[in-house]
Amino acid sequence: MTNHTPLLIIGTGFAGIGLATKLKRRGYDDFIMIERADDVGGTWRDNRYPGAACDVPSHLYSYSFALKSDWSRVFAPAPEIWEYIRQCARDEGLMPHIHFNTTLLEASWDEPSALWRVVTSNGEYTADVVVTAMGHLADEKYPAIEGIESFTGEKFHSARWDHDAQLDGKRIAVVGSGASAVQIIPEMAKIAGQLVVFQRSAPYVIPRPDRAYTEAEKRRFARDPESMEALRSEMFWGMENNYAQRRAIPRSIHEAYKVANGHREAQVSDPEILAKVTPDYEIGCKRVLISDVYYPALQAPNVHIEAAALEKVDGKTLISTAGNVYEVDAVIFATGFEAIEPPFAPLIHGRGGQSLSEYWSQGMQALDSTTVTGFPNLFIMNGPNTGLGHNSVIFVIESQIDYIDGALQYMSERGATVLEARPEAEAEYVDAVSDRAAGTVWLNGGCKNWYVDYRTNRLTVTWPDFAYAFRDSNGEFVPEHYLTA
Amino acid sequence: MGVVLTKEPVDEGELVVDGASVRFYDSRESRGSRNPIVLIHGTTGSTAVHFGFLFPMLATRQRVVSIDLGQPTGELTIDSFRRQVEAVIDRVLPDESITLLGYSLGAVVAATVAAARPEKIENLILVAGWAKTDAQQVLRNNVWNALYASGDKDALAQFTVFCAFGHPFVGARTMLELEPAIAAVNVTEFGVAQMRVNRDIDIVDRLGAITANTLVIGCQFDQMVPNRHSLDLFGAIENARYTEIPSGHAVVFERPAELHKHVDNFAADPRRYPAGIRIPAVKP
Ligand SMILES: Cc1cc2nc3c(=O)[nH]c(=O)nc-3n(C[C@H](O)[C@H](O)[C@H](O)COP(=O)(O)OP(=O)(O)OC[C@H]3O[C@@H](n4cnc5c(N)ncnc54)[C@H](O)[C@@H]3O)c2cc1C
Repeated sequence: MTNHTPLLIIGTGFAGIGLATKLKRRGYDDFIMIERADDVGGTWRDNRYPGAACDVPSHLYSYSFALKSDWSRVFAPAPEIWEYIRQCARDEGLMPHIHFNTTLLEASWDEPSALWRVVTSNGEYTADVVVTAMGHLADEKYPAIEGIESFTGEKFHSARWDHDAQLDGKRIAVVGSGASAVQIIPEMAKIAGQLVVFQRSAPYVIPRPDRAYTEAEKRRFARDPESMEALRSEMFWGMENNYAQRRAIPRSIHEAYKVANGHREAQVSDPEILAKVTPDYEIGCKRVLISDVYYPALQAPNVHIEAAALEKVDGKTLISTAGNVYEVDAVIFATGFEAIEPPFAPLIHGRGGQSLSEYWSQGMQALDSTTVTGFPNLFIMNGPNTGLGHNSVIFVIESQIDYIDGALQYMSERGATVLEARPEAEAEYVDAVSDRAAGTVWLNGGCKNWYVDYRTNRLTVTWPDFAYAFRDSNGEFVPEHYLTA
Repeated sequence: MGVVLTKEPVDEGELVVDGASVRFYDSRESRGSRNPIVLIHGTTGSTAVHFGFLFPMLATRQRVVSIDLGQPTGELTIDSFRRQVEAVIDRVLPDESITLLGYSLGAVVAATVAAARPEKIENLILVAGWAKTDAQQVLRNNVWNALYASGDKDALAQFTVFCAFGHPFVGARTMLELEPAIAAVNVTEFGVAQMRVNRDIDIVDRLGAITANTLVIGCQFDQMVPNRHSLDLFGAIENARYTEIPSGHAVVFERPAELHKHVDNFAADPRRYPAGIRIPAVKP
């Protein structure tokens, strides 16, 4: 039996739940959501490694339409963020809409009937409109390492933490030194017999102004919600200031170096370690990380930092590209996610059967970062040029929610059954994004990052401007950009 | 000249007006169809100090010219500054209609230029400006002068920071964190002369001559030029719209990105909001 729905939303992270909330609140209720896991939460359901937390303050990294007065800390731990999303889904009455344990396998545009045919692990659907909210950091990435299958100990990815693994007192390797790694390493340093960190390239790390909120503060936020909004605004614009670093503005970059170099030099006394953790590229080219406990952990007596990538594995022996050899019992991959070529792209087939990954063979692109020519009635959340290195992704998600909601309203007002990005509008948008990207540190900073497509050197993951400019550009549906039928 | 505003060097030049050396910076590249924007700094400021964020960020989108005001040989008045700005505009942008932005005392100057040259100044942005000095400003000016005369530089610097930044900004920081701001306060003879000009500003009668599309930006927690002055400008200038930033007078340090957003949006499309409107803040 095929389920038909006017609207199918795939994914129940911040993006899917946010969109469904907005629709439900305006009385639009006829939609189905599918989710491959058995609960909502996306990133925050999956990333449950020790030390996991957001690195944008929680009063900002949350929905503007569901402020929470009792965040426990400035940077809430992952379980609290997960519970927040679950609570939102329950409060907004979304749970009955969600089909769990339902993985998208294929979605194809049926031209004659003007609808999407969607095949899942749990049956088939047809939908007039499909929204993908499958995340940009949802599918873990493993580096190609020779002999990794021969490893006989525990091994897992940071986003698929094995909570049954016995790690206490063991010899542990952490592969990677990105945002997840700097949270995991201090926790592993506490319990490992020996810990080795494989660092391909050193990150810039700045102080993390974390603290618990007092009961009095929480009550003040509850009693005076305006002060929560003022704090949120202050946090947002404070983070926006940092965009100037990505444009290599001298005043900002100077301040950024002062903070990062000062933190490193204040925290690292051993000259050998200092040399290893000193980055060799321009600040901001990769994500600037926040931690007060990372550098101290690297200097613990049971911790060793290997300033080289993991190259080979043989049984329990790990060999770095520098030729150094380590015996370990467990390997933790903190090696990031598939962002440049999203795993959902080969599953989605538009006009003429062309897949999104074929259409994107030269890198992801979309009109207003949301829709794609040849893929009618499809909206993509957190897709091409939506990532932010300097501010909250939820600001982008909420902008896209408004855009998609506007499109849905437009379609129903006009009685339009087909809405498709005009090719010239998409091309113009892509050019405009390239113009914005020119001169940013991601393209010029002398590092290898996961924001730039390796095939074309185009910046396809990150939004290359202030966050406010994303909303100015893409926060409102523009009918003139579309063909309708 | 040791002023590094952007990664790529900008053009620099100098003019002498009434014996004053007036420096200017020009990013040249137009990058699209916006009018060039001209920036005028505030009391005791300069391009580097007040526009270290705004100049290079705006220059990624449009041509930017900025002026370092100078001290004339004769008496310093608001019209000395007006002549300096007009001279730079006529030299650097003789044929273009321009968007003129002034901050603090620079906003007073900008308003006088816009009143004198309505055909030239198509769009006007007044950030934390005022039209007529009031008793609250004179009180602060008196205390400032007394501290200056006492020779207690540290007290003068602390008083300046106390007045310049908004209370939420200062209150959220430790004394240690405020030290760099205090240490950065540096008063010159020229600064003293500007403080004298600030004491008796009155350009109320000129505001009626301003025809430019005007954006007035007030700072909610401003203790130097309380934002009622911005609301007065909003009322006095016919073609004005208004917006507010939750910062102190030192908005160029406290909330540079938010200031940039309003300037950027207005420069791109000055008439997007009609005159008489309060432009809402972004709700992040
Ligand atoms: C450890 C970590 C920390 C982060 N911290 C921050 C931060 O501090 N600030 C910030 O702004 N951003 C942060 N991010 C980025 C974060 O991913 C986004 O902020 C946001 O959570 C993305 O939401 P989403 O709904 O788009 O995607 P996700 O949360 O990834 O949700 C996607 C959902 O789609 C489901 N799905 C995927 N494929 C399929 C399929 N084929 N079929 C069915 N369902 C599918 C997934 O199971 C998942 O539930 C962080 C990311 C990580 C990994």
